[in-house]
Amino acid sequence: MNEVVQMPVLNKDLRRKIVDMVTHGGDGHIPSAFSILDLVTYLYDNVLDVDPNNPSWPERDYFILSKGHGCLALYVNLWRKGFITDRDIATFCRKGGILGEHPDMTKVPGVEASTGSLGHGLGFAVGIALGLRIQRRDNRLFVLLGDGECHEGTVWEAAHVAANYRFGRLCAIVDWNQSGMQLLPHEDLPAKWRAFGWRTLEIDGHDPAAMAAAYDSIPFVPDDVPTVIVAHTTKGKGVKMIEGHGRWHHRIPNAEEYQAIMAALQ
Amino acid sequence: MTLQTKPSSAAMPGYAASVRQQFADTMLAVGQRDPKLVVIVGDISHGILQPFAAACPGRFFNIGILEPTMMGIAAGVARSGLLPVVHTIAPFLIDRSFEQIKLDFCYHRLHGNIVSVGSAFDYANLGCTHHCYGDIAMLKTLDRMQIVYPGSSVEFDTLFRQAYANEWVTYYRVPAKQHGLDIAPGDIKLGRALRVASGSNLTLISTGPQLRTVMAARERLAAEGWDADVLHIHTIRPLDVEAVRESAARTKAVVVVEEHMRSGGLGDDVLRAIYDVPGLRFASLAIPDHFVTGYGTYEDHCQSCGLTPDGVVEAVRAFGL
Repeated sequence: MNEVVQMPVLNKDLRRKIVDMVTHGGDGHIPSAFSILDLVTYLYDNVLDVDPNNPSWPERDYFILSKGHGCLALYVNLWRKGFITDRDIATFCRKGGILGEHPDMTKVPGVEASTGSLGHGLGFAVGIALGLRIQRRDNRLFVLLGDGECHEGTVWEAAHVAANYRFGRLCAIVDWNQSGMQLLPHEDLPAKWRAFGWRTLEIDGHDPAAMAAAYDSIPFVPDDVPTVIVAHTTKGKGVKMIEGHGRWHHRIPNAEEYQAIMAALQ
Repeated sequence: MTLQTKPSSAAMPGYAASVRQQFADTMLAVGQRDPKLVVIVGDISHGILQPFAAACPGRFFNIGILEPTMMGIAAGVARSGLLPVVHTIAPFLIDRSFEQIKLDFCYHRLHGNIVSVGSAFDYANLGCTHHCYGDIAMLKTLDRMQIVYPGSSVEFDTLFRQAYANEWVTYYRVPAKQHGLDIAPGDIKLGRALRVASGSNLTLISTGPQLRTVMAARERLAAEGWDADVLHIHTIRPLDVEAVRESAARTKAVVVVEEHMRSGGLGDDVLRAIYDVPGLRFASLAIPDHFVTGYGTYEDHCQSCGLTPDGVVEAVRAFGL
């Protein structure tokens, strides 16, 4: 594995918002959201062509968060871009709200797929790509997966189809935060994607300059191999006490912990 | 209304000799008219679908042997605004891909068409890896599912045309055998039971090819004083509860015959619809709730499961006239 240069933490304001949502809502996966927050924020700021006033705009880019449990990172970006409201954020995991611990396409504007069960997002995206090709449309599709999710066989089924069908407008991003290390390590995850015929890039998933270089290098040509960006990330990135794969995966901060996390995010 | 039906050893004019061939013929006919129809198969029936592939270029995909992802891809095709048909052998299409049906289609509130072959023990000698007796039970647990079990080519063609573009996910269970009775397409309506014969003191209910069994039993039972109403249920969900209750209320004696596991089959739904009919006598002839491990022909398996005219006659005799 290449040595990853640790960059200063981005997006502290959005991280604080996520902590507030989880503390208030009484549920949520903070470390998983922190792991992908910089990747998702970069996408919404610099890559995705989407319209909050018309989420179903036919020409839009599709973004599918296949690791649905990281949805807080998606929600805060949908909020700052105007897809969802302050009230939606305030009612996370509350009766009458539209935001749950996994995103629901039928409730949340801007959510392209209802994910949560791992291994569904890439196949679904390949199907959308197929349908768009039949209609001679060339929207781009972005799918964010976890490295633990890459244990799922369906990920590789879909990867195989996407490469063979040359969906060059499809880009997968893998949040390689080493969750898989706990169970079935991926010793060389980029090599696996390369073996499946994907253009494979490897970056620091918390470094916007690296993201810029990666996206700039993708041709996005319709009849071409798809691209995967394998992003080295840190689960819980930004707050040392919750980093890693321990008890914080699905833990709700108590009052003391909340103060400590917020202090770390100042 | 009693349908004017007659036993037929050959296919009805204009319809294919097998329901599976009819599937291919119907795809061709509908696909030429509707540019939104897309057919995706998992290395099965690709030969008979070549006319569709030729007539509808770019809309036929033999995607590979990866059924769960094939189902997810089909759902994505629906998400893009098209009308997918996804097809392979029932155990792989339903058992193996169940979560993709549940989440990628149903939870997303997408529309689509799932067409199986090889349900129940149609692939008799291939053994239990290639049997699928519980598909209907599984799919009944899913929101937004329509379940269609045609017993003839005309039923498949007519019901597909009625259902394929609506807002539901529709499962078509294509059988290897046909029941052999001619039914006019105008009499076939999605969600409505077919009254094939009228009677007064017994209700025989069939689905799929078992209409043949029921009609043979009806004839023998007539000699014993039973005058059987025959309802053929080609749409298991939504079930025509009104027709079933109307008949059961008159006859108070009901037998359901189906090539599905007893648990979760049509029999369960019929019984739920009529359990409160006073004096009701009820029997369900179905595949027992265990693997059918023996070998032999389709007919051998029907015999071993009691899905025969003899089986129906015995069940009715047990009611007592």
